[in-house]
Amino acid sequence: MPTVQLFITCLVDSFYPQTGEAIVSILRRLGLTVNFPHDQTCCGQPPFNAGLRAEARPLAEHTLRVFEATEGDIIIPSGSCAHMIKHGYQELFRDNPVWLPRAQAVGKRVYEFTEYLVDRLGVTDLGARWDGILTYHSSCHTLRGMHIDRQPRLLLANVRGAQIVELPQVEECCGFGGIFSMEHPELSAEWLKRKISNLEATRSPTLVVTEAGCLMHITGGLHRQRKKQRVIHIAEVLNHK
Amino acid sequence: MTDFRTRIRASLANEALQIALDANAERRTNGRIAAFESLPNWQEKRQQAHAIRADVIEHLEEYLEQFVDRAERNGIVVHRAKDGAEAVKIILEIVKASPQSNTKDSLVPLSALRGKEVLIAKSKSMVSEEIDLNPALEAAGIRVVETDLGEYIVQLRKERPAHIVTPAVHLRRSDVGQLFHEKLGIPYTEDIPTLTDTARQVLRDVFLTADIGISGVNFGVAETGTLCLVTNEGNGRMVTTLPPIHIALMGMERLVRDLDDLALMLSLLPRAATGQKLSVYTQLIHAPLPGQQRHLVLLDNGRTGIRNSPLKESLYCIRCGACLNACPVFRELGGHAYNSPYSGPIGSVISAGFFGPDFIPLAQASSLCGACREACPVDIDLPKLLTRVRAGQIPVSSSQSPVNSSGLSRLGRLFLQMYSRFARSPRLFAVSQRLAALGTRLLSPFSDYVPLPAFTGWGYSKDLPRFAGKPFRARFHRAEANSNGRNSVILSEAKDLEDKNEDSSVAALPQSDTRTAQFIEELTKVNGNVIRANRVNLTGQVIDFLKSRGVDSIHLEPDVLDEITLQEAGITVSDAPDAGLRVGVTKAICGLADTGSILIADGAGDPLQASLLPRIHIAVLCTPDILPSLADAMALPIVRQCKSAVVITGPSRTADIEMSLTIGMHGPGELIVFLVHTIC
Repeated sequence: MPTVQLFITCLVDSFYPQTGEAIVSILRRLGLTVNFPHDQTCCGQPPFNAGLRAEARPLAEHTLRVFEATEGDIIIPSGSCAHMIKHGYQELFRDNPVWLPRAQAVGKRVYEFTEYLVDRLGVTDLGARWDGILTYHSSCHTLRGMHIDRQPRLLLANVRGAQIVELPQVEECCGFGGIFSMEHPELSAEWLKRKISNLEATRSPTLVVTEAGCLMHITGGLHRQRKKQRVIHIAEVLNHK
Repeated sequence: MTDFRTRIRASLANEALQIALDANAERRTNGRIAAFESLPNWQEKRQQAHAIRADVIEHLEEYLEQFVDRAERNGIVVHRAKDGAEAVKIILEIVKASPQSNTKDSLVPLSALRGKEVLIAKSKSMVSEEIDLNPALEAAGIRVVETDLGEYIVQLRKERPAHIVTPAVHLRRSDVGQLFHEKLGIPYTEDIPTLTDTARQVLRDVFLTADIGISGVNFGVAETGTLCLVTNEGNGRMVTTLPPIHIALMGMERLVRDLDDLALMLSLLPRAATGQKLSVYTQLIHAPLPGQQRHLVLLDNGRTGIRNSPLKESLYCIRCGACLNACPVFRELGGHAYNSPYSGPIGSVISAGFFGPDFIPLAQASSLCGACREACPVDIDLPKLLTRVRAGQIPVSSSQSPVNSSGLSRLGRLFLQMYSRFARSPRLFAVSQRLAALGTRLLSPFSDYVPLPAFTGWGYSKDLPRFAGKPFRARFHRAEANSNGRNSVILSEAKDLEDKNEDSSVAALPQSDTRTAQFIEELTKVNGNVIRANRVNLTGQVIDFLKSRGVDSIHLEPDVLDEITLQEAGITVSDAPDAGLRVGVTKAICGLADTGSILIADGAGDPLQASLLPRIHIAVLCTPDILPSLADAMALPIVRQCKSAVVITGPSRTADIEMSLTIGMHGPGELIVFLVHTIC
């Protein structure tokens, strides 16, 4: 049985451990041995995106060291952290002859969770069941950073009992953007408002995402506005019977 | 300069601005997407365009040398300016040396009334905004009039353009109505055609009496020394054709290698900018027209610094404005909040590159959502460049110390520094997770969410989910114990699914009938008209048309119609430009099937003016001269040999007021192609 490495990401780790459990359960059902390197922390994306490269570098180096000590594919339940390790590290270490090849070697092993299922394993139906309406939000870095869109949609289309409706302006950013949502709260708030009203237009009680950042941001907004809709990571839908 | 955050709040609070920007974003984005769908293999073309721009910027000095050499041999006077001050000085010297008397007397009924003040008619140039040219010229006692409708409006309002392509994007028709009422003395109206026509009349006098025309340049072609200008209203043609002196102002990076490159770029630029397959007027200028002086001012102004910096890729930009239209930040702010001539994602990169570290905070106003890169017709990795600006990787002059500013707030920086400190050590990270879980539980014991105060940024519009009591890292073994061995299925061999390359079917060359049909369809789409004619009776058919419009005198390019027949029918014929004539008749050198365009070049009888000044332009085109596309026209010898040529795609148009399409701005309001079915 092949062994895969799980990079859980700081947000899933800290806020949504049940998403991580769903992923482990799905991967094991598919016959994989799941390894979780315990020394992992954060890929360094928050300081990197903010322009604090000196702060980002030690986190990136740490992440590379942790995963260099392992073998096999690295699965990440977040398009943006996968984007960071695959592409952001190339930028961060572009003038660093020691770390650049190491980043490239690890980057080659990285897959976003739905990409791994569909493109790597060829699995599009996990036998999941979900009774009710679902709508999907394309997270920016999953869609435009990793060019992953077909895969989560295909997996959702095969969920029994689920009626999938399209979210209007599905490709618009929800306003998270990491530190952006704190640095420019007024701008972030406008987009969040628009995302929530688009969600309401679908009449779906549940919004599915591939990204814990969007999840946290949109649920935070829904809670502030006392709305009933919930946001859920796709792994939990796919693990639902 | 007010604080960027203050300006952001002001923009968000401006309801009229928000409505205008929402409409702009939706219309422009949809228009762009539809236009690109009509271009076969556009993703491939986009990558080719990226490669062309990369090559040009990589070898910029060589291409510039070739370009300057060609342009000078063509008779254009080339000046190079290292900064804005030098460019202004060069232009003022050209003004000083100008005869100040318009030699084309037939065109200048009003010049005598103007006294000695020098009048400059200007078509849109963002480079001129970059170097604050207008204030400098005005300070020297020169009258400068912007002639693009949107630019004219913002100039009357004493504002900067709010968008690099649609300068008056922030205004509504009522704003323009009020402005024209106050400044031009017309009764208040919200009727866009009336407003447009008012500007047309005022500006026509400017074109006809201007001593100098100043324009920007969309592309310079290194191999041929060509200046390519792309406009819709016709003002670009006016200022480069009518005044005795034309000064083109160009950023030194705006080069392509040859005419084939140019054709490719022109298939992308208008689609990205305005959703058009081709803009109405695509000018190819090589040389001065008879009696004209043509100058080119090539501006560095920090471009060399950017080229030698990590922001080099930003020089690939062709200033289409697509990233502005796609950007959710621009959609909330409009251009003015950036306090720079260049706004939106590209502006947030190059403003710091051109104007220094004070502009770094612009780059923090982005969620790095990547919509800009997706919209970019030359695939500039704008999110990457934004993170470089944030990291202070901007050009530094030798006197400055390295930039140590990310544009972050103090609180944001502190938060990230602390976070990064903890995340460096797995042990500290795990401890801080537990502490955060405990903390959020204490703050909010009865809810899964913590209501943070607004000053934290997050708390402004959302609550914070509580940290999980037990993070994933503490649960992993439990998960393993629970599910190990259960429900396991044997994994079929892992496989790589190859992305299916969508094979675009190779279209067979259109037969000439198909081409004709396509030409007619495309020209009709852009509000042009086609009248089918036969060679024997062509002049008679044109006469019938003229009579139906009550026209009895025309500007006619020689050898297009039978002049004796025209005179017998009572039509007076002139082969000299005359702004009083309603109809100009020219031949079309060729037609372009995929865009419904026609090509006109300079020559006897001034066909460039005949196709520009009158209200109605009649062009005679023979069906065998319809070529598949612009790339084919670029191969015609005449395109290289003429002094100036223009590809015309429909009647002149503007959408500068509320993006409402108005046909007939400065150029003809009607384009009628008499299509002759024969071998000419």
